[in-house]
Amino acid sequence: MPSPSRTPSQRLLAAAAAGGLTVAAGVGLAGPAAAETEVDRPSSFTSAFTVNATPDTIIDTEGNPAEGAPGATGTFTFMINSDEEIICYEITTTGVEPPYESPAKTATHVHEANAGEGGPPRLAFPNPTGSGDTRTSSGCLQGPFTTGLEGEDGADTGEGFSLAQIEANPAGFSADTHTAEFPAGAVRGQLTAIPVGGVDTGMGGMAAGNGDQAWVAAGTAAAGLAAVGGLLVWRRRASAGA
Amino acid sequence: MRPASRRIVTALAVGLLASLTACAGDGSGADLSAPGPSASAESPPASADATPLAAAPAPPARVRIPRLGLAEDLVDLGIAATGELEVPADPARVGWFAGGGRPGGPGPTVLVGHLDSATGPAVFARVPDLVPGDEIRVRSADGGRVVYVVTRVADFPQQGFPTEAVFGSTPTDSLRLITCTGPYDRAAGRYTENRVVYAEPHSVP
Repeated sequence: MPSPSRTPSQRLLAAAAAGGLTVAAGVGLAGPAAAETEVDRPSSFTSAFTVNATPDTIIDTEGNPAEGAPGATGTFTFMINSDEEIICYEITTTGVEPPYESPAKTATHVHEANAGEGGPPRLAFPNPTGSGDTRTSSGCLQGPFTTGLEGEDGADTGEGFSLAQIEANPAGFSADTHTAEFPAGAVRGQLTAIPVGGVDTGMGGMAAGNGDQAWVAAGTAAAGLAAVGGLLVWRRRASAGA
Repeated sequence: MRPASRRIVTALAVGLLASLTACAGDGSGADLSAPGPSASAESPPASADATPLAAAPAPPARVRIPRLGLAEDLVDLGIAATGELEVPADPARVGWFAGGGRPGGPGPTVLVGHLDSATGPAVFARVPDLVPGDEIRVRSADGGRVVYVVTRVADFPQQGFPTEAVFGSTPTDSLRLITCTGPYDRAAGRYTENRVVYAEPHSVP
């Protein structure tokens, strides 16, 4: 069912993305499987991945290299809570011109595909929108997921897919978006893992109320020295600690 | 023949396996500031296969922040078993996220240093002083140099941390420095916020 026009499910997803509405599972979506639900951002995540998508990585359905949108870029960042089967997405494209086109229910996907290879879509996200050259799409979806695309086995290519599969092998997944002009993909890239949560870069020695204010004073003095006197103090600290 | 691309995969793998204790987890400065190198920093580059990063630039090797008088070699950091970014075991060292971007390539190069040790200031103690316009110079392992200029600074709560805004890819070269700020939660043994310094390559005139 390749068609550049939006299916009802696409409109529903787009409306959900724009308005923050909750789409009841399965409502208005073709296929036997229950579809993903637009949900609020969960309080925690089990993993996160980012993608630097470019036009020089496109593989067509035959497995051959194909042309992407020249000069276009895309960044996809995914935050996953695999316990709750929730994926939050933040997608930005520049220079990817609609209309979008895909036989799946949207044209913006995570495919199960190694670099340089093709593979079926497992997740379908609302297509990036916006005025001007830069377009964005963001939100959170809770599985079970569907793509609206029937696989070789006759089942939806999202059926049975679990986010834990991405966590197990992120390099085995790519993200892309397809347009009428570049149906094999305008930009694409592989998932790479990034950290989740804050960064624990302090041990409290300078924190107020630490009991020993002398350390704070000494620290401030040392920092001042470093600024004025150059590297010496810091170099010594570094070698003493190493 | 390109160890750089392998190293990034290796570092990532090691990072996922390593259960490096985060710096303030037990509040014990003595063993945390012991001169044990971090697991990822010492890992030999084992062979790894498929990588999409065949053309990745060389990894960063050294950072210099002239206004702070800071000049330090970098240690590799991966992702801990908790999912968080590893931090340098030694509060006097600066680390870089080996699974992230590299100077001269797309995506953010992420540098991380402690604000303080258990007893006093650490290597990034004055990073919160950085303001837009300050220069940060990064030298890569192949001798390449990129001069970055701070464009903005932001503080984020460590609970509900906006991973996308800090570690998410960027289509062009960028640099992010991370340290701690905000109140110190003595019960949790960690600061409650992170200071993130965003920098972009100095535009060539």
